[in-house]
Amino acid sequence: MERLPPKWIMKILSWWIDPSILDEIQGDLLELFQMDYTEQGKVYATRRYLKNVLLSIRNYNLRRFRRSPSNNSLAMIGNYLKSTIRNISKNATYSILNILGLAIGIAACLFILQYVSYEKSYDRFHDAYEDIYRVRYKVYRDGELNIDCAAAVPRVGPFMKENLPEVVDFVRAYPMSGTISYNNTSFREKRMHIVDPSFLTIFSFPLIKGDPSTALSDPYSVIITEEISKKYFGNEDPIGKTLEFDGDDKLQVTGVARNVPENSHLKFNFLISYETLNSRTRNDEGVSSSETSWGWYDFNTYVRVEPGTDPIVFDEKFADILYQERKEDFEKYNFKAEFPLQSIADIHLYSNLLQESEPEEQGDGRAVEFLSVIALFILIIAWINYVNLSTARSIDRSKEVGVRKTLGASRRQLIFQFFTEAFVLNLIALFLGVFIVLAGIRGFNILTDSRLSTAFLGDPQFWITISAIFLLGTVLSGLYPALVLSSFRPVSVLKGKLTKGISNVFFRKALVVFQFVASVGLIAGTLIVYQQLNHLRKLDLGFDMSEMVVVNGPRVFGQDSLFPSTNESFKNELKQLAFVESVTNGSNVPGDEIFWTNGIRRNSQSEDANKIIYNVGIDYNYFDTYDIDVVAGRSYNRSHQTDTGSVILNARAIEYLGFKSPEATIGDKVFFWNKPWTVIGVVDDYNQMTAKQAVSPLIFHLQPDNSGYYTIRLKENTNPSALNSLQSTYESFYPGNPFDYFFLDDFFNRQYNNDHTFSRVFTLFALFAIFVACLGLFGLSSFNVVKRSKEIGVRKVLGASVWKIVNLLSREFLMLLLLANLIAWPIIYWIMNNWLNTFASRISIGIWSFLIAGACVLVIAMGSVSLKIVQAARANPVDAIRDE
Amino acid sequence: MKGKHLGEFEELVLLVVASLDNYAYAVTVQSEITNKADRKVNISAVHTALYRLEEKGYLASEMGGATATRGGKQKRMFRVTSAGFATLQSAKMIREKLWREIPRLSFGN
Repeated sequence: MERLPPKWIMKILSWWIDPSILDEIQGDLLELFQMDYTEQGKVYATRRYLKNVLLSIRNYNLRRFRRSPSNNSLAMIGNYLKSTIRNISKNATYSILNILGLAIGIAACLFILQYVSYEKSYDRFHDAYEDIYRVRYKVYRDGELNIDCAAAVPRVGPFMKENLPEVVDFVRAYPMSGTISYNNTSFREKRMHIVDPSFLTIFSFPLIKGDPSTALSDPYSVIITEEISKKYFGNEDPIGKTLEFDGDDKLQVTGVARNVPENSHLKFNFLISYETLNSRTRNDEGVSSSETSWGWYDFNTYVRVEPGTDPIVFDEKFADILYQERKEDFEKYNFKAEFPLQSIADIHLYSNLLQESEPEEQGDGRAVEFLSVIALFILIIAWINYVNLSTARSIDRSKEVGVRKTLGASRRQLIFQFFTEAFVLNLIALFLGVFIVLAGIRGFNILTDSRLSTAFLGDPQFWITISAIFLLGTVLSGLYPALVLSSFRPVSVLKGKLTKGISNVFFRKALVVFQFVASVGLIAGTLIVYQQLNHLRKLDLGFDMSEMVVVNGPRVFGQDSLFPSTNESFKNELKQLAFVESVTNGSNVPGDEIFWTNGIRRNSQSEDANKIIYNVGIDYNYFDTYDIDVVAGRSYNRSHQTDTGSVILNARAIEYLGFKSPEATIGDKVFFWNKPWTVIGVVDDYNQMTAKQAVSPLIFHLQPDNSGYYTIRLKENTNPSALNSLQSTYESFYPGNPFDYFFLDDFFNRQYNNDHTFSRVFTLFALFAIFVACLGLFGLSSFNVVKRSKEIGVRKVLGASVWKIVNLLSREFLMLLLLANLIAWPIIYWIMNNWLNTFASRISIGIWSFLIAGACVLVIAMGSVSLKIVQAARANPVDAIRDE
Repeated sequence: MKGKHLGEFEELVLLVVASLDNYAYAVTVQSEITNKADRKVNISAVHTALYRLEEKGYLASEMGGATATRGGKQKRMFRVTSAGFATLQSAKMIREKLWREIPRLSFGN
């Protein structure tokens, strides 16, 4: 007979039925199955069979262990569970405090772990991420680090591959931005990269359409993302269509890539073939500087190496090879270049170099580690609550222990019992904690501007972590109560005397002090972080960014020779508008990283003294518009015909280049671009980038026709509708260019977004920690009150006032609080001082932060303690002492 | 359920086993109940009753032959023990005694 019911149903039966009778039952059911099959067919028979199986396994009598003698230790576990549940429900308030504390601790911990693991997930989606490294570019002059840049030179990638067998392949990505047009719609686009074809093989950025092996081979080919495809082409097939770049270049779409994951440090919307750049830079001899240059450092270069390559050994090896190749230049110009490898997985959190691909998204590895520590703290505080409350309740439990011991319970069994309790409470808390996370994840995302999802539920890593937290929590929180409670001697506890060791009280106090230290520390830390961020925001940056609108300059312009006159009349037209205070244009605006650099020296120096300086092209009233002070000499002026041959420096550059003073520099000369230039003015330092960084040396060139940005200073209280007139003016002068604008203060302050997010996360978890600590404190103090209710009663009868009793009961906590402050202050001072030292401009830590933190904790702690104390102190003493 | 008391379904199963003489196992018992008592029962209920009766000592069992329709599994053949017969008999006597004591009038004739 080959007619058999599905295997899995038979399996179910064998799991559940007592093996000694399994055979016969299986036989009976099979026989019925055969009968049904003959009479009614397969479907019916299978259904009946399933029903029979289910009914059989439901039948208690047939189940496994039916005949085994009842197991004593199993029964004991049952008993422990029962007494645990009774205990929980008997002391509902304390159990809820306990569970709630643990649950919040676990939830906070999970949130942070998710946040941290998201931050750490950057760039790990590449299949070969362990073997992909970014090539950094470091330049030393006179042994001093001059440039430490994320982008390298175009020659280094091919050179590495030619000379080191470890290098499987390399890719260069040259970042760009520009105006893209299709069918009369134009957008200003960022996240464009000119890349080698190997981009698609080294990284795991899959193509949805197009052939990855040929899509980037020809010049003027472009791969776009799905999002961009939708934006320009809607539902049309983009392959083979032509996009216009800055009005003249035509790029043919050869592929569509899936959108770049959020957790990629390198984000692109357009990938343009490297040949495009090569064909642009090729000289008469057929050589492209974008292949041969050792000095043009705008190329993010990545190499994929053989698995198991040690980057440190690699760097050393490459340094030798590089020296052989570049010896002459190094010696001639007195500098040294290095190209150390940097693991792609470390970029997001641990890299903060010049020309990072997405500087605003750069994570902070230290902050992430710091958060992990806070997560641990919160959990520890919650566990301490558990320990504190359970030991405080030892008086309640001592009789139970005495009776159990008298009836023959061994110490081991008691320890096991208390562990069972810890296990159950932790388990409930765990479920509640996970529930809190699921319910709060959206709020958390909004508050902290992060992108956590509930996808972690399917991640085995998550469950391993959860189990580890859970087991560790059970052991840590169960250990101490289990040992203490099980050690009670039955005779003395049943007589009513508690063998109360001093160590017990001391331990509990130590734990409370620890909680206070953590709370005070977190509050003080939060306050200092806020003060520092506020300080940065209010800092005098050296320029004025209020009421400033910046408009991107036109990239599409028919005839270059006509631009200067159009530019002038556009600016004049803008100045005519009633709400415009002044207009200026330049290559950069503050907050915009300068990529334009070159070597410079004092004219009197020799060639090997060259140092790197940042260039800004400006027009006549740039400094006026930005309210940047000229400290020596003068700004550019239309009345001076010679100004195109002169330059202006900032104060930092004066020092950097070794001039004596700003005044002494005026009229002196600097040398770059193969000729000397006269310095006509020195301006005050201002922060081109955040105030976190020191001011860079800058050189300003007169370029009234620079089409980078127009900055428009509006008159105060300008109506937002003014933007409409700006737009129409812009569009009438520069048709075919999108009107793309931003407010300078928003633009500049976006650099602090990460800090603000971090401070919100920090505050949130500081609050969590304090709340959990308070729960514990409340529980502890109420037990204290219950324990001393008789004493309070007697004292009241003998004439003590309510105030005296409150005083008596709170003194103990007050002392602990003071001690905790004494411990917390120096620790926090040290930690925060270290943190503040990472800023170029920092606040000094005032005593006020500590006093406020101490006072906060004092108020909160006393609030939660005195709730119960006042209640007890005001109670009628008769209730407490009438029965003995 | 504990003790020697016989439940209604158990009595039925015991009777069926007795009537099947030497050919009683769960499947035959189930079909017999369906046929004779016009009552649909699930096989697991029959199993439970059989094992319980065996525990109470009213049934004895031994392993019987395997057939292909059973996928090569043996069947457990049940027979009624003398204690089982005694219980069946006493149950029957109690009933008969009670039947006899019902006054004819109570039927409303």
